[in-house]
Amino acid sequence: MAARVLQQCVRAIARPSLRLCSGNLAARAAVAPSAAFHRPLSFAADSRRTRWLGQSRISSVGVLCRQYGDLPPLTLESIKDRVIYVLKLYDKINPEQLQPSSHFMKDLGLDSLDQVEIIMAMEDEFGFEIPDAEAEKLMTPEEIVQYIADKNDVYE
Amino acid sequence: MASASLPPTVLSLKQFLHRQKVLGLYRNTLRTIQQIPDEVDRKYLRDWAREAFKSNKNATDQDAIRIMFTQAKHHMEELQKSLALAKG
Repeated sequence: MAARVLQQCVRAIARPSLRLCSGNLAARAAVAPSAAFHRPLSFAADSRRTRWLGQSRISSVGVLCRQYGDLPPLTLESIKDRVIYVLKLYDKINPEQLQPSSHFMKDLGLDSLDQVEIIMAMEDEFGFEIPDAEAEKLMTPEEIVQYIADKNDVYE
Repeated sequence: MASASLPPTVLSLKQFLHRQKVLGLYRNTLRTIQQIPDEVDRKYLRDWAREAFKSNKNATDQDAIRIMFTQAKHHMEELQKSLALAKG
């Protein structure tokens, strides 16, 4: 029995058509159900992208498709959600006061140092650097969303 | 007469440039601290830097600001050197 399971695993990994979507562990698990114990590895590997994994797995379980190392394309909605999410995690912002149009200094009572920290948190979240000159103009969540969308060529 | 229409909190050119420099230093310091491998040390130093900048945010004396700026820059460069040594 164990030998059969092992054989099944090896066959599944060696089959070239499956190797194309080797990133898609869910699909491989469907061919060889006993290979499901591989799955926890994928969680550990992209713990930073758990939010995306959750989304992409649902859509790809039934469909065999190639998966490249890129994240799903950004949309204005997803950028907005992530910006708000990061802001809510920031300890000096009261999540109840937070509105997409609220001004960091006038409405939320932050100072310019806090604003620098927020922009750096955005850089970490979206993985690119915002130059100083642009960074200090971003004063509301809306403006941050707009800036990130412009930088990543996301339009409605 | 043009100055009459400006808001009362407007900064002079010198103050404005200082402000830019301090904010830039704050960014660089936090960036440097981000590179510290140990999580506990990183959090400790980040909180320390935040506190240090924030406790002096109301300082207005130009000379005092310049001295503090130089000191902070010195601290940051020392940290950068230590990090470079730790990596190499």
